[in-house]
Amino acid sequence: MWLTSKIKQILMVMKPGIVTLDYPRQPAPAPATFRGQPVWDHHKCLGCGGCANHCPARCILTRDVCQELRVMLYDGSRCTYCGRCADVCPEEAITMSNNFQTACDDKNDITTRLELFMLTCQRCGRCYEMEKTNVIDRMELRGFRYDNLESRALIRQTTDTFSPETLAATEQYQRPSR
Amino acid sequence: MNPTTETAWLLVGTNLLLFLALAPLFDGIVRRVAARVQNRQGPPLWQPLYDLLKLLGKENIDAVGILPFRLAPLVALASILCVVMILPVAGRATALTPYADTLTLIYLLTLGGVAVLVGAFSGKNIFALIGASREMTTMIMVEPILFMILLLGVIKTGSLELTTVLYGTPAGDYGWSGLIMIVIALFALQAFVGRQPFDIAEAEQELLGGPFIEYSGPNYALFKYYMMIKQMFYAYLPIAVFVPLLHSGLLVVDLILQLLLTALVFLVIGLLAATHPRYRIDQALNYFAGLFVLALGAVAGALFG
Amino acid sequence: MRKELEAQLAAQLRDEVVCVEKTDQRTIFIDVKREAIRRAARIVTEAGGRYMCGVGYDNIARDGTLGMVHTFSMDRNDHFICVRTKVPAIDPVMESITPDLPSAGWSEREFMDMLGMQFTNHPKPKRLVLADDWPAGIYPLRKEVPYDLVPPGADDVAYQLDEAPPGTKIVPIGPFHPSLHEPEHFAVYVDGETIKGCDYRGFMTHRGIEKLCQTQVSYNEVPFIAERICGICGSVHATAFSQAVESAGGIKIPRRAEYIRTLMLEIERIHSHLLWLGVAGHLIGFDTVFMQAWRVREQLMWLCERLTGNRKTYGMVLIGGVRRDITPEIADDIRAVVKKIEEELRVIHRAIEKDSSIHKRTKGVGTITKEETIAWGLIGPVARARGVDIDARRDHPYAAYNDMKFDVPVLTDCDVWSTLVVRVLETYEAIRIIHQVLDKMPAGPIFVELKDKIPALRHAITTVEAPRGESTHYVITGEDNRPDRWRVRAPTYTNLQAVPLMLLNEQFGDFPIIMGSIDPCFSCTDRVAVIDLQSGKASSMTRRELEFLSREQLHRA
Ligand code: SF4
Ligand code: SF4
Repeated sequence: MWLTSKIKQILMVMKPGIVTLDYPRQPAPAPATFRGQPVWDHHKCLGCGGCANHCPARCILTRDVCQELRVMLYDGSRCTYCGRCADVCPEEAITMSNNFQTACDDKNDITTRLELFMLTCQRCGRCYEMEKTNVIDRMELRGFRYDNLESRALIRQTTDTFSPETLAATEQYQRPSR
Repeated sequence: MNPTTETAWLLVGTNLLLFLALAPLFDGIVRRVAARVQNRQGPPLWQPLYDLLKLLGKENIDAVGILPFRLAPLVALASILCVVMILPVAGRATALTPYADTLTLIYLLTLGGVAVLVGAFSGKNIFALIGASREMTTMIMVEPILFMILLLGVIKTGSLELTTVLYGTPAGDYGWSGLIMIVIALFALQAFVGRQPFDIAEAEQELLGGPFIEYSGPNYALFKYYMMIKQMFYAYLPIAVFVPLLHSGLLVVDLILQLLLTALVFLVIGLLAATHPRYRIDQALNYFAGLFVLALGAVAGALFG
Repeated sequence: MRKELEAQLAAQLRDEVVCVEKTDQRTIFIDVKREAIRRAARIVTEAGGRYMCGVGYDNIARDGTLGMVHTFSMDRNDHFICVRTKVPAIDPVMESITPDLPSAGWSEREFMDMLGMQFTNHPKPKRLVLADDWPAGIYPLRKEVPYDLVPPGADDVAYQLDEAPPGTKIVPIGPFHPSLHEPEHFAVYVDGETIKGCDYRGFMTHRGIEKLCQTQVSYNEVPFIAERICGICGSVHATAFSQAVESAGGIKIPRRAEYIRTLMLEIERIHSHLLWLGVAGHLIGFDTVFMQAWRVREQLMWLCERLTGNRKTYGMVLIGGVRRDITPEIADDIRAVVKKIEEELRVIHRAIEKDSSIHKRTKGVGTITKEETIAWGLIGPVARARGVDIDARRDHPYAAYNDMKFDVPVLTDCDVWSTLVVRVLETYEAIRIIHQVLDKMPAGPIFVELKDKIPALRHAITTVEAPRGESTHYVITGEDNRPDRWRVRAPTYTNLQAVPLMLLNEQFGDFPIIMGSIDPCFSCTDRVAVIDLQSGKASSMTRRELEFLSREQLHRA
């Protein structure tokens, strides 16, 4: 019993040969359908903020610096590569790239920052409503947004018109700590 | 065989150098074999040496702060180096061999084991304690088997002298007792070198390295080195005892042949280690007890047969 | 079923039963007064109910009460029974059911910590979930506690381990130990090499997922977070959550989506069982089995990369359906890969099934009887290896399982070896199911659009058979487009409670494999609490102090 099992085990391991890769000298390519790091096409993005509303990791931040300028910040260090942002983007401005080797020593290296010139929606200042998906997706975060880019925190506060006070207030925002 | 003192001292040096240099390589072979069995690329052959160098370069943390803890690795390595120095090279006595006999060999080997225990016990770490008690039980059961193997040589050759005992047996006939002993040596091999299925004392999954848990840096490197050389010694021993020398008259040829055979033993060790789970201490004890009784029988056979 | 139960309850409890309602085909809710909770639980158990978990929830804003639900599964006739009661928040005392049902122990302790409930006659009313230095009187799952509260830490509190049996030494396994893979602490009491007892202090990987999802995100982000409860059975949690919300909201998803969910769940089962086989090999020191099983598993990871876009955390499930469709090409790809896996697994299976050196380490190890298994409510392969024939896929079919033909392997040797065999056999069954899914999959949409809001305060419970046993999710829908309460009970939560029993009188060397035989997933078990408690303590300590401290700990043992 013991001996036959051992022989079978040796036979089992003979067939496949060496299967590990000599990484990183021999890189492993990702398939075309891979969901790697999302990349933004700033030509297409219209700054609707949909991706920010739907990111489960809350790593896309939206900040209105003034009436005309909206900053979108993608904080790659917290991204889970779920691809939800690419799903909901109405303009298909986001593609999930093949890049998964994102280790780096400065998180700014995997941060994307878009500065977008905006026109104002007549109805609600800024506006975002999902067209594609359903009612459970809807998140009421319209208007002007004031996430804190410094401490990379989402701040659930929006106004219908641009408000310099809120902007100043959120600048003071601090993450809770001991 | 009475070499001049100069060549005899040269032999001591050669042996020492060989063991120091080749022990990590042979360890590398075991790792490589395991890697191949597991379909992996595996580390470079010299990886154990790199590990040693890296450990030696680290800060020495004296985790316990008492003398035995610091001395233990030194004693262990020193004792095994002494063993190496008295060891005859390919059937030729070195300058130090005449000062020792088979019993000295066994003493020195035990001393190394005791040093490991002292190091473990001085740490007062519960894992080290359990590991040490396992190590001790294993030692108590395994050393006698080694003793029996050598005893057979002593009986067959009628001498306690090392060269004769180690290299004399194959020259005399094996007899069936000799054959049994070869089988026993083979079955006890993994226990001698402390590898699966008998790496019970270190048992990474339960005891996180057992006796060595408190050691780090150079101290740990010394222990590692000790283990590697001990391993090489135990792989070398059955070759010396049971395989007839080529007697080509040329020392170099004999030596190379022996080393090649040792490498072969390491291949076997690697294969066995990679195809076995670790046994529990109670199971291992039963196994050793069986081997011991067999060995006893073989010795008795040699005495009266 | 409902009629009989109702009659029994009415007969024995009379006016202490408030009402019995049946929300869907499967689920029966029984509201009782708090005095009757223990008796009601006993009646349900006698009627054949198997305890699943307890769910506590905060209802203070509505009627000033805390709610407690004990959920049971009727495995033979596909029912879930939820015994619900409420206690006023100012006097949150009710009777413990743990003396009757030992597996309720943790559920009750959890809500002592998280909601401040009190259970009289609980045999071990110790802290379970919260950190030792969490201040008394702050109950993190209550609505008034903000999700990002960080109370100050304290240095002078420590968990009091259970009294060690006389003549034993304590071996601290964890928080960091190579056979645990995740930070958990077991204090194992050994006498020589024999284990005489064990105390568990876990829940160290608190991430506050439940609280987060009840306060911060919206419905369709939860599946992605749920998926990250566990690195191995992610789809299980996402599916279970989505099903619970769908059931509460009366959403009917397309049949094709259900098939794809089934496919993902079975792929995950193959993946998990191969992973476990490898880990089991590693735990008995047989690394070749480990590497071989993982070599076979690797193909599946690559397949998933092509299929879903990632090796793990597939991100396939949303409320209302799934995200990616199965094209004919990828279907062929799946067929080819699982066929290859089946062949290679059979080779491994043949190579180890008669190996006496593996039998030595696994046969007769970690034995508990069938009666004990039932008493502790064990689930999954752990129970099936001990002759308890339960499997949520068959007993409470969900997704497309009612269309599938498969066997549920049940063995009766009650030891670690039979859990291994059960898992290998289940892998073959999973491959069988995958072929059936691909053959029978209907055409159609994979996602359903939703027009109406999900009504608030609906209760729903679902279970999904994860590779390790059933995962139970309980959802109370909420108003702000997110659940009001979401309770996850992962299989390890139940199985881990019986581990001390399995360890008793075994050899210390068998600890890793006995522990491993339940395929513990601590992050699933720990999901609840509030906040990621980064202790500022460790970083401000010098290394020497740390060394000293850690050695102190060991010496004390
Ligand atoms: S991939 Fe997921 S986590 Fe990353 S930014 Fe997009 S939505 Fe957020
Ligand atoms: S969803 Fe698309 S268009 Fe809208 S802000 Fe994000 S990237 Fe831009």
